[in-house]
Amino acid sequence: MNTPVLSRQRILNRVRSATATVAKHGGQLAEAYAALPRPYIRKGQMSAEGRLELLIERLREYDAEVVESTMDALPVTIEAQLAASGKHRFVVPSGLDPEWLVGGFDWKIDYNLTTAEIELAEGVVTAASCAIADSGTIVLHHSPGEGRRVITLLPDWHLCILRASQVVETLPEYFDRFRAVPALITWVSGPSATADIEMTRIKGVHGPRFLHVILVRD
Amino acid sequence: MTTAILDPKLAPPFREAVLPVLRNPMLRKNVAHATEVIQNKRARLVAEKRDWQQLREAASAIRAHVLENLGAYLEQFEARCTAAGGVVHWASTADEARQIILDLLREEHATEAIKIKTMTSAEIELNPYLEAAGVRVHETDLAEIILQLGKEEPSHIVVPALHINRSQVREIFSRTMGLKDLSDDPKELTGAARHYLREKFLNIPTAISGANFLIAETGSVAVVESEGNGRMCLTLPQAMISVVGIEKVLPRFQDLEVMLQVLARSATGERMNPYTSLWTGVTPGDGPQRFHVVLLDNERSSILARPKERQTLKCIRCAACMNHCPVYRQTGGHAYGSCYPGPIGAILTPQLMRMHYAESLPFASSLCGACYEVCPVKIDIPAVLLDLRADVVNIERKQAKRAFDLMYIGLRVANTLFARAWIFHATQRIGRIGLRLFTGKDGWIKRLPSIGGRWTENRDLRGLPNQTFHEWWEARAKENQ
Repeated sequence: MNTPVLSRQRILNRVRSATATVAKHGGQLAEAYAALPRPYIRKGQMSAEGRLELLIERLREYDAEVVESTMDALPVTIEAQLAASGKHRFVVPSGLDPEWLVGGFDWKIDYNLTTAEIELAEGVVTAASCAIADSGTIVLHHSPGEGRRVITLLPDWHLCILRASQVVETLPEYFDRFRAVPALITWVSGPSATADIEMTRIKGVHGPRFLHVILVRD
Repeated sequence: MTTAILDPKLAPPFREAVLPVLRNPMLRKNVAHATEVIQNKRARLVAEKRDWQQLREAASAIRAHVLENLGAYLEQFEARCTAAGGVVHWASTADEARQIILDLLREEHATEAIKIKTMTSAEIELNPYLEAAGVRVHETDLAEIILQLGKEEPSHIVVPALHINRSQVREIFSRTMGLKDLSDDPKELTGAARHYLREKFLNIPTAISGANFLIAETGSVAVVESEGNGRMCLTLPQAMISVVGIEKVLPRFQDLEVMLQVLARSATGERMNPYTSLWTGVTPGDGPQRFHVVLLDNERSSILARPKERQTLKCIRCAACMNHCPVYRQTGGHAYGSCYPGPIGAILTPQLMRMHYAESLPFASSLCGACYEVCPVKIDIPAVLLDLRADVVNIERKQAKRAFDLMYIGLRVANTLFARAWIFHATQRIGRIGLRLFTGKDGWIKRLPSIGGRWTENRDLRGLPNQTFHEWWEARAKENQ
């Protein structure tokens, strides 16, 4: 009879004996890891302006809408985006800057809203932690300004507010920037999509079908 | 539409399993179209990456390092995941894994579960087991829904329904979802799937997933996807069970900077897939509050023990090898008799079966090496194929019936013929005359008698030329005298 404890021991024993001649231990393991070849590009070569242009180009390739703004004009830009969406009920994370909750819309702040309440929202407005220009990726660490994962998942329309200083060029630059690993991360590259039927790319399956980004020059 | 058998214990040998496929022009057209599209997309994005070969080298080195030190990294993952509120289970065999998962579902009082596409669950044939035990499993990936509702088998590890075209999808959806007016527009078909699943995502509190990567440093789990069905399954339910092969560990979070760059480009020809999620144990107030990881061995530790074959476990399941394989592109996935088709399946499946089944698969290759060239973690698939072929022959050689097998007798005759040049040349001349009887006007041989028929039953053979290279060379030397 295989009890769970025996299985654990059996697997680890088999793995250990299979790798007995090559496995390293303790400090030697750390050294072997540190010695792994990493000859790929870490840092990008682009100017700050070129980096932002690349991000915008990549996001638009994914059919995301991108507009630029300054810090001062941000509430006005948010208002224009929301008005153009034709939607009224928006959910926001509890830690979002209150200045961004412009008048004239129905705001639901996520103090542990139920799934049913979130499902009623037509859109969601959040901040982000980082963006990677090379792949057009927005990274959510689900901090108080980015909210729980569910609020950027159920609503069909996502407005993401990104600061220019949060944009890096390459994926390794992102990993250099965040040495402390957040417990939850979502890397978003465009609206949800599928190519499962005859490799035809269809935008919008289960996640938000519309991704809007405001890039704030800070 | 097809009657594919993907259980290696029951599936016929490759050369028999390909026959229905080779005679199915629609299936071949669907497979050729899909692999062509992915090949082109991948080629464009790999070409723009100036450090592609360097990324491959790093990805290969990281994966090899993990495998050599798998024990330490598994224990580290277990400790960190447990500290973050996850529960880690260990399963030596497919049977143990199925039992653990069913027990966990019973603890949850689950009669239904939603599921993210996972190859590992297909490997352990989880769905039929759970259904038999009274748990309804709902696949949520679009391709997997097409297969589940159409009672079809997967034929690819990334786009498992690539052998089914839009009008076939329309037929399946309209029949099973009761949508009479559905068109075959992929957008409308996708919309039908979104509608069909929405209520399941919102109401079924238990989910099953696989994982693309486990992070030893933090105890985190990463899932790479496109549609958002993965995010639904790992965010909305109250309980989540992830079944993961023991080889899927990465040492550190930072290693994703390599893996995420090579995976999407290799798999779907995208710079990055739409959604990648990473979670660590349980986060209060966000996502499932009960989280289990089932670590599956199922013969992986036996593969690990063989130094040359160990690299099989470096695989990150991108499927670039099958998209580029001249054999897979003709046959599609069903002929491989396993949920893992293509070149990686040809080396992985027989090893998972301890060479007792699927022993025809290492021969299902022309050894052209395209798979090795595109593999993002540099698995030398042709080398492993050759090694496994030697294993198969060594097993067969010991069997008494082989003394009377026509192919083995033929090989012994060939051994004698090839040993002396004059006998070899004489045989060539006789063979040339003999083969003329079977060679068509186009220079191809479509059908041979006796053991030669084993070759021509599923491929054509070029007729022998009127002059061999040796003869041409000698004639040329005489002319120049």
